[in-house]
Amino acid sequence: MDGVGSNVKVVESSRRVTHCDLILRILGLILTLVAAIVTGVDKETKTISVSITKTLPTLHVPVTAKWHYMSAFVYFLISNAVASLYAAASLVASMAVRTSKEKAAMALVILDMTIMGLLFSSNGAAIAVGVLGQYGNSHARWNKVCELFGGFCHEMTAAIILSLVGSLVFFWLVALAILNLHKKSG
Amino acid sequence: MASTDKPASPPKPEAPLPASKCPFNYSVVDVTLRVLLFAATVTSVVVMVSSKQTEVVPLPTMPTVRLPLPAKFSHSPALIYFVAALSVTGLYSIITTLASISVALTPAYSKSFLLVFAFLDVVFVGIVASATGAAGGVAYIGLKGNNHVGWNKICNAYDKFCRHVGSSVAVSLFAAILLVLLSMMSTFTLYKKIRD
Repeated sequence: MDGVGSNVKVVESSRRVTHCDLILRILGLILTLVAAIVTGVDKETKTISVSITKTLPTLHVPVTAKWHYMSAFVYFLISNAVASLYAAASLVASMAVRTSKEKAAMALVILDMTIMGLLFSSNGAAIAVGVLGQYGNSHARWNKVCELFGGFCHEMTAAIILSLVGSLVFFWLVALAILNLHKKSG
Repeated sequence: MASTDKPASPPKPEAPLPASKCPFNYSVVDVTLRVLLFAATVTSVVVMVSSKQTEVVPLPTMPTVRLPLPAKFSHSPALIYFVAALSVTGLYSIITTLASISVALTPAYSKSFLLVFAFLDVVFVGIVASATGAAGGVAYIGLKGNNHVGWNKICNAYDKFCRHVGSSVAVSLFAAILLVLLSMMSTFTLYKKIRD
């Protein structure tokens, strides 16, 4: 009787973990997908006036800010897209295969960890370049560009925050799986 | 009778030895990876900190005037973050190497230690990956420049600085891969405990 009771408890706790796991995967999918889409559609065109000499009339040149002008943002978009694709695939996989099987859980933990590293590094790159755009760098003579492209910078900031929360979601996925393994081993 | 049986039992502890040999091998690999991690982070920090280079370049305000201007890592917030993150990782690797050795010698505490290792390894994967990403992103702009926003490359003027930053980022990428391997191993050790 006691054995049956503890068995039921184990099944219940693993089911609760699976529910939590599914919710976290859906959250990660939504966050990274929205971050990728916001980055992809982010585009701003501004007209700047250039006067070459005093005799010539001032020229009005349209300049555009897009994600693929900056290699760090390209990396950011691609890794967010990869992470959301992976989240969708792992969602399907974890619903099809019962994750209470340890072997499948191990494979998922290792893949989750890799994707988490990818997301963290792309966030680092995007934030570093974003800070450069916001404040510039006087030593390297890189001027700030967010004064001109205010809207672009705001949307990029939103995408970076979404992706940061997404990478924390992936971290929690890994942490939960480790805690689950620890509980089962004891 | 029971007391005479006891001297005969010492061969018994020998029986589980092959089973306990496996975790010992794991801990040897674990300690080796952690020592490698320490070496990688220290190399990376030293190479980054020693990257200071002074070159005679034209002044930003008056291009005709040329003055010796230094380039060092503390001029960029991303590189400061990089140095801070890798220093913390180096400290962490020392502490966990010692902890891992002590766990290998006294396996009594191994369970809670394993959980803490697995958690912290994953946290440090995030820290080192973001530091490598940040430094790599800024270093790439320094190498190639960006003509869309008018950021000129600086690596043609500061060649030694750029070589140091590049090698430092490469070594820290290696450290990030080591950390991923370490956290995979910590998780795998937990997994093995279930199967046994």
